[in-house]
Amino acid sequence: MPSKDRSSAAARRGLSLNVILTAVVVVVATAVIAAVLLAGRPDTAGGSTNETLRPPGSHTLSQGAGDEVTVVEFLDFQCPACASFYTNVTKKLEQDYMGRFTFVPRHFPLLSHPLAVPAARAAEAAGKQGKYAQMYHALYDEYASWALTEDGKSTSDDLARATARFEAFATAAGLDLARFRVDVAAPEVQAIVDQDIADGRELGVDSTPTFFINGEKFQPRGSTAAEVDRELRAKIDAGTTG
Amino acid sequence: MSRALLWLYTIGGGLGLAAAIALTLEKIAKLTDPTHVPICSLNPVISCGSVMDSAQAAAFGFPNPLIGIAAFAVVVTTGVAGLAGFQPPRWYQVGLAAGTTFGVVFVHWLIASSLYDIHALCPYCLVVWIVTIPLFWYTALATWPVLAPLRKVHSAVLALWYVVIVVLVLIAFWDYWTSLFA
Repeated sequence: MPSKDRSSAAARRGLSLNVILTAVVVVVATAVIAAVLLAGRPDTAGGSTNETLRPPGSHTLSQGAGDEVTVVEFLDFQCPACASFYTNVTKKLEQDYMGRFTFVPRHFPLLSHPLAVPAARAAEAAGKQGKYAQMYHALYDEYASWALTEDGKSTSDDLARATARFEAFATAAGLDLARFRVDVAAPEVQAIVDQDIADGRELGVDSTPTFFINGEKFQPRGSTAAEVDRELRAKIDAGTTG
Repeated sequence: MSRALLWLYTIGGGLGLAAAIALTLEKIAKLTDPTHVPICSLNPVISCGSVMDSAQAAAFGFPNPLIGIAAFAVVVTTGVAGLAGFQPPRWYQVGLAAGTTFGVVFVHWLIASSLYDIHALCPYCLVVWIVTIPLFWYTALATWPVLAPLRKVHSAVLALWYVVIVVLVLIAFWDYWTSLFA
């Protein structure tokens, strides 16, 4: 029957059109995505790792005199694990090894922590007046007062409350508050944070805290703070001649 | 309803049901033990934990996967009953179309929340996204005569739909994907 022939021919044509279009969509999308992903691959060959790890002008919480061990930490001021590392590991390291190792904190604020970038900017703004270390310590020592919700159960997104705390820390550190406010909003302060993030990604940082010891990514075998603390100390002791 | 659609209901609904059950079990585990880390929390980006803890995870005041358990069970049942010979009346089909429309709108709101608010992906939720779109699309095609012209390019539309979402996911987590390829 002609009518039946027509409809089955149409069905065949419809089917093939659908299959062709589907294939085109899938192939084109795959090709474009793969091309863009590969083209956007960070160029690991170029650029000195030394400068990526520790660019000129980066802050130090402890400065070794000579060729002692250098620890670089990529941290997020609002990340609970970083705060716990601070309390249980790095704060004690700073006290015990002050001047006997070089400790460079770098920013790696994660998207899931809405106050991490403002905190990083506050630290950098304090750094502009030479008080980076004071702000760094205040941010972690007073972590619960700005980074967590009132009930302490989850990370806060209350920027107004956090800003008030940052300004209180700035005042306590003896900063010029008017200048601090200007610096917090300054594009060059954001640029420092952005550079740290870019460097972290280039170095393969994907979580915080991530440590580099003498340029090598530190992968602790233990998981508790005490175990990590022991491993870090062993590494620093091994590299410290004095 | 065509047998292909009934198989889609059975398999797609089954996958959605499994994902909703898995999410509910993780939620219960987390309520029992607040320090519980879901097996699908791999890193800051692939993280059921941050998605499950978000306000959007209980859009109607109770965990979303409970809706999934109820709704996907209906879809599976429709598929199995249809394969067994059940011929639903028109109103049943319209009801399914309405239900899957609600589902697809809800899922896109969740996609937007996941990409632009929570900034994390949850693998079980991805399964729900992936199955809900064809469940909606093929039910709509089968139900509404006005969509008849699009039946000729049914899977091309579906592929395009997936591509748009894949691209949005890629863009939203661009740095994560490029770090994987580095």
